[in-house]
Amino acid sequence: MASPLHKSVLLTALWLLAVVGPAVAQSSDTLRTRRRVPRRTLPADHPRAIPPGVRRPGIYFPQAPLPTEWRKSIGATFTTTPRELTEEVGVNIPAVDFNIQRGVSKHFFLTGRVLTQFLQSNAGIGLRWSTPINDRLFIGAGDDLHGWFGALKIKDVFNSQAYGVQNYPNVSIGYRFTRDLQITLKGEAIFDLYYRSQVGNLTIENTQRMFNGSAISVVFEQPLYGKKHVSLGFRGSYSNFNWQLWSLYDTFDRNLFYPQLIFGFIL
Amino acid sequence: MRHFHLLLIGLLTLMLGSCRKEYDVVEPYAFANTPGAGRFSTPVRQAIEGVYAVTEGADLFGEQVVLKWSTLRTGSDTLHYLSVFTADAGYFNLEPQPQIGGLSVAGYWRKLANTQTGLARLAVEVKRNGQRSAFTGKLATGDSLVVSGVYGENNLEPTKRLTMVYRRPLNARPFAVLAHRSGGRTSDLLPASENSLEIIKMASRLGATGIEIDVRYTKDGVPILYHDNTLNLRLIQKNGLSGPIESYTYEQLTTFVRLINGEKIPTLEQALETVISHTDLSFVWLDTKYIGPMEKVQKLQQQFLQRAAAAGRNLRIVIGIPSQDALDSYQALASKANTPVLCELDTSIVRSVNARIWAPRWTLGDQTPEVDAMKAEGRTVFVWTLDEPQFIRDFINQTRFDGILSNYPSVVAYYHYSEQ
Repeated sequence: MASPLHKSVLLTALWLLAVVGPAVAQSSDTLRTRRRVPRRTLPADHPRAIPPGVRRPGIYFPQAPLPTEWRKSIGATFTTTPRELTEEVGVNIPAVDFNIQRGVSKHFFLTGRVLTQFLQSNAGIGLRWSTPINDRLFIGAGDDLHGWFGALKIKDVFNSQAYGVQNYPNVSIGYRFTRDLQITLKGEAIFDLYYRSQVGNLTIENTQRMFNGSAISVVFEQPLYGKKHVSLGFRGSYSNFNWQLWSLYDTFDRNLFYPQLIFGFIL
Repeated sequence: MRHFHLLLIGLLTLMLGSCRKEYDVVEPYAFANTPGAGRFSTPVRQAIEGVYAVTEGADLFGEQVVLKWSTLRTGSDTLHYLSVFTADAGYFNLEPQPQIGGLSVAGYWRKLANTQTGLARLAVEVKRNGQRSAFTGKLATGDSLVVSGVYGENNLEPTKRLTMVYRRPLNARPFAVLAHRSGGRTSDLLPASENSLEIIKMASRLGATGIEIDVRYTKDGVPILYHDNTLNLRLIQKNGLSGPIESYTYEQLTTFVRLINGEKIPTLEQALETVISHTDLSFVWLDTKYIGPMEKVQKLQQQFLQRAAAAGRNLRIVIGIPSQDALDSYQALASKANTPVLCELDTSIVRSVNARIWAPRWTLGDQTPEVDAMKAEGRTVFVWTLDEPQFIRDFINQTRFDGILSNYPSVVAYYHYSEQ
């Protein structure tokens, strides 16, 4: 069920992609033309100078790797559980986060991601398209398909397992502040395609394609020291079901807020 | 470009700030609570109870519902309520409308999984050869009972049609429908707070035949009902107090603390008094949330079991043993006579303390061999705390448990009473 908030998040993301990006680029060009002020060219050694065609290590920034080039990162995410589910206990769930990308063409690249807590894991693949608007501003769109699986067998507590498939169509807009610092704003819609849960010998299954919610991520990517780069970001998802909390068997038909911190070393 | 930075930061702040939504549900109907059943005499009420096909309104309430009456005693008066239970955690809470002619009820409906609610006005009639007429309590061959009327959204005047046609009587197999924390969690947005006297009075209308309540001690040793380890805004209104509830005396709690819907934290004695004096509930599960001596709880258990027996009530009050600490407290009791217990631990411990009830977690599954063994020894077997509607259906249809503890007793009631 698409709530007004969902729609607003999605519309905002689309608006950013479709209107603001080109509009900002166009308006700045228009202003330059109208005022006939010659464009100030920053000296090459200026911190905000962006050499034409430059590429910086990044996983979230919507700039395709060169064809056949690989990009990888390893890090962690920390998801805070909503109090509606965990009540008086606030829990931060850590997960190992591994990303891999490979350029396919000038604008297209393949993505892969594995999130794991060992007892429960999520793996996804996707295809993304991206293009520069100007030297600083980039946009992208893609679609990721993820499968998740969890199993818990604890004496007197759990004999349960579950797995499911989710789809994440997404759009991104990236802005390069300086030659080293880049920020990405990513909007995702979350669809549940399949869900199966088993306790003991009892099994339930849901094959209906359902709109589950949406998510917004803000990720900074910059050097940490030397030539090493990191991704540091925040993802807020507003959804009906979160795979990391499958074992809580959330029955609410309400979207709950799942804030998540993202940290990754770009390899 | 400088403006773009500001625009971006502003948008981010706006979007992230607007993500966390506080949900709330306001009960859209004010109950008159008129004593008596009016025209709904006992035979009429008995005839109305049953499984119904939904012929109008199925898009919101499903193709089948269960109708069941419940009562609430207030002194010498009895209030009657008609509940409708749906498969997707929906319920209607309706009261007779003696001021309107015929067999009419009015109230509200609610979906527990989300925040949908609205008003409802229904009437009971007989359908004979396509014609509807007043129901007088007797049905001739070929007659069918029809409960129909209108429902609306929130406080809006009801205009949408709802028609339910009698299909069959309620499943009569004994089964315990147990309400977690007396009815549901704070997050279920019920009109009364969890573990309050008001929710105990409401439990039957939610479908429950029994309740589970959480017992703790105050600083001065008064057994009270409270779930969490600490005073927190999930359960109580803002008052500046915090920390373990065991740090406060009962007088301090009753003076300064109000539960999330404004009620006082009840004592265990008040809760058991409410069960006996106001409800027809047949089971009370005293969940042990405290660490320490069990004597005061045992004394109240025995006192109210005697009162129930004297009143001819078929009421079981059991002390829950969910942990090793609780087991130690139970085993430290000087006398265990007339102290029924429910054990959530391993079946070997159930046998060692001779608990008459075993209650494992539902996440362990059907556990058919263990359940069969316990039942063969004459024990009752419940499962907790199961809210997932599809699993509730499967546990009722495919396992041999004697009852389910749930935050959605209405769903358990629906699947139990409609089972064929």
